[in-house]
Amino acid sequence: MAFEMGPETRQVQGMWDISTYRYRMEGGGVRLLTEAMKEKRIKGVRCNECGMVYVPGPTYCRKCFVDIDEVVEVEDRGTVMSYCVELADVRGNPRETPLISAMIELDGADSWFVGAVVGIEPEEASVGMRVKAVWAENPVGSLSDIEYFEVLEE
Amino acid sequence: MRKVAIVGQAQVNASDVGKSRERMLFDLCKGFYDGMGITRHDIDTFVLCSNDFAAGHTISNVFEDCPVGAYMKDETKVEADGVMAVTYALARIMSGLYDTALVVGNSQGGSVMRPYLVMDYTMSPTYDRQLGLLNELSSAALQARAYLDAYGLGDEVLDRIAARNLRNAAKNPDAFNGKADATPESVAGSDKLYEPLKQDHCFPFTDGACVLLLAGEEKAKELTDKPVWIRGVGDSLDSYYPERNLARSKSVKLAGERAFKMAGMNDPAGELDLVEVSAKFASQEPIICEGLGLFAEGSASDVAVRGLAEIDGAMPVSPSGGALGAYPLCAGGVTRVAECYKQLTGSAGDLQVADARTALAHGQDGLYLQHNAVMVVSTEEG
Ligand SMILES: [Zn+2]
Repeated sequence: MAFEMGPETRQVQGMWDISTYRYRMEGGGVRLLTEAMKEKRIKGVRCNECGMVYVPGPTYCRKCFVDIDEVVEVEDRGTVMSYCVELADVRGNPRETPLISAMIELDGADSWFVGAVVGIEPEEASVGMRVKAVWAENPVGSLSDIEYFEVLEE
Repeated sequence: MRKVAIVGQAQVNASDVGKSRERMLFDLCKGFYDGMGITRHDIDTFVLCSNDFAAGHTISNVFEDCPVGAYMKDETKVEADGVMAVTYALARIMSGLYDTALVVGNSQGGSVMRPYLVMDYTMSPTYDRQLGLLNELSSAALQARAYLDAYGLGDEVLDRIAARNLRNAAKNPDAFNGKADATPESVAGSDKLYEPLKQDHCFPFTDGACVLLLAGEEKAKELTDKPVWIRGVGDSLDSYYPERNLARSKSVKLAGERAFKMAGMNDPAGELDLVEVSAKFASQEPIICEGLGLFAEGSASDVAVRGLAEIDGAMPVSPSGGALGAYPLCAGGVTRVAECYKQLTGSAGDLQVADARTALAHGQDGLYLQHNAVMVVSTEEG
C-alpha cells in the first residue's frame, strides 16, 4: 500500500522564542549617529587611509581593513543615487499611496543613507535629484528622528 | 590537479510540489539513483545546500540526510548559493579523499514561506531593519533603476529580457513558470511591485530541489560516456553596503576572471557556447553578463534588439529560462550548473544550443549581487 499525500497543510506560527537579541552598538556606529540626531545633526567616521566617510560609521574601514576613529559631521542634505517606487509591499499587499525609497549620498559622506522621499509624484523622481532631511519636531536620538526627505530646490 | 566531472543531474520545481520537503528529496534522490543504476552506497560524500530561515528551523539539513540517502554517511552543508555547494564538492573530490560527491540543493519557497521575507533577516538589524525601507524587492529595484539610468535606457528593456526568459522556460520540462506567449507587452502589463520592477521581471516563488553527481576522473568515465568536466571556478564577495556603482558588478567581474584563469581561457566570450546566470530579477541579467565581459557595458537594449542572447544568438543567455522559470532558494545555483550539464550532454530538448561544448554557470547570494560564484564546464577534458 502507499499513503496518499494529503492536500492538507498546517500553519505553524513563526515565533522563534530564543529570547530577544541584544546587539551591541559600537561607539562609531549607529550610536554616534543617533546621539547626533538628538541635535538634528548627522555624524559619521572618516578613514584616514582612503578618505571614505561612512554614515553610520564602522570602527574600522571596510575597504582598507584598518581602525578608524575620526568623527566628522556631514550635511542633512544630499543627492539621490538611485530610487524605487513601492506599489505593493513584499508581502504582496498593494499600497494606497506609492512610497519612494532612495539611496542618498549626504553631502560630505561617501556611504549611502536610506530614506523615503515625500512630496513628489513618482514620475517626478530622478537619479541625481537633491533632497533634504525633514526632522521630527522633538528628536529623541533614534533613526526615526529623520521623518523623511523632501526635494530641495537649489 | 585531479580532474572532476559532472555525471548526472535531476531536478524538481513547482509552485507547490504537494509534498513535504523530506518526501520531495526522497522521491528525487531515489529516482536519480535508480535512473543512474547506482545506490546511495556509491556516494562517498554528500554536500547539502539549504537555508535555516527558509526551512523554519536551525540546521536545515537535519531532516535532509536520510531522504537523500546520507544515513551514517559523510555529509556537510553549505548555506549559500548552490554554485558554492558544487564548488565545495569539487574541492572534496580534488582532495583525493573522495571519488564521488552528491550535491543536493533544496527549499520550499513556493508553498511553505515567502522567499522575500527570508532576505529581510539578512538586513543589518541595528540600521536597515530599523529604517524598514530595504528588502529584497526594493534593493533589486534600486539596482534596476541605477542600471537603466546609468545608460539612459527605458524600462521596456527589462520587459524584453523577461519575455525571452519566460518563453524559453515554457519549453523547459524542469521549469514551471514558463509563458509560451510572453511578449514585452504582456510583461509590461503584469502587476506593478516596486518600480521599475513588475511581477514578470521577478523569480517565481518555488518549491524545488536539484541533484548533481560529481566524480573524479576514473570514476566519472565508469559512470558515463558523456562526462561534463568542471574546468574553472571563481567567486568574489562584495560588501553588504551598497555604496558603489550599482549599474556594474565588480564582484561578478572578479569571480568570472578567477574562473576563466583556472580554465585557461583567454577569450571567454569567444570560447563559451552559452551561459546560465542566476538573474533573480530581469534587471540583473545584463549586469551579470556585462560583468562577465560577454556584452559591452550598458548594451542591454542592443543585445535584445539583435537577439544576441537568444538560443540561436551569438551568446545564448539562460536558454533554460533561467531564474524566471524556477528559482528554489539555495538550489538555484545548482540548477544553473544542471542546465549547463543538460546542454553539454545534448539533452536540452527544444532548448538545445547547437554544438554546445563549453558553458558557464553563475550563482549569487545577498542584496545587489553581493556574492557571485562562477563555474566553467566543458565536454573537453582539458
Ligand atoms: Zn579606508
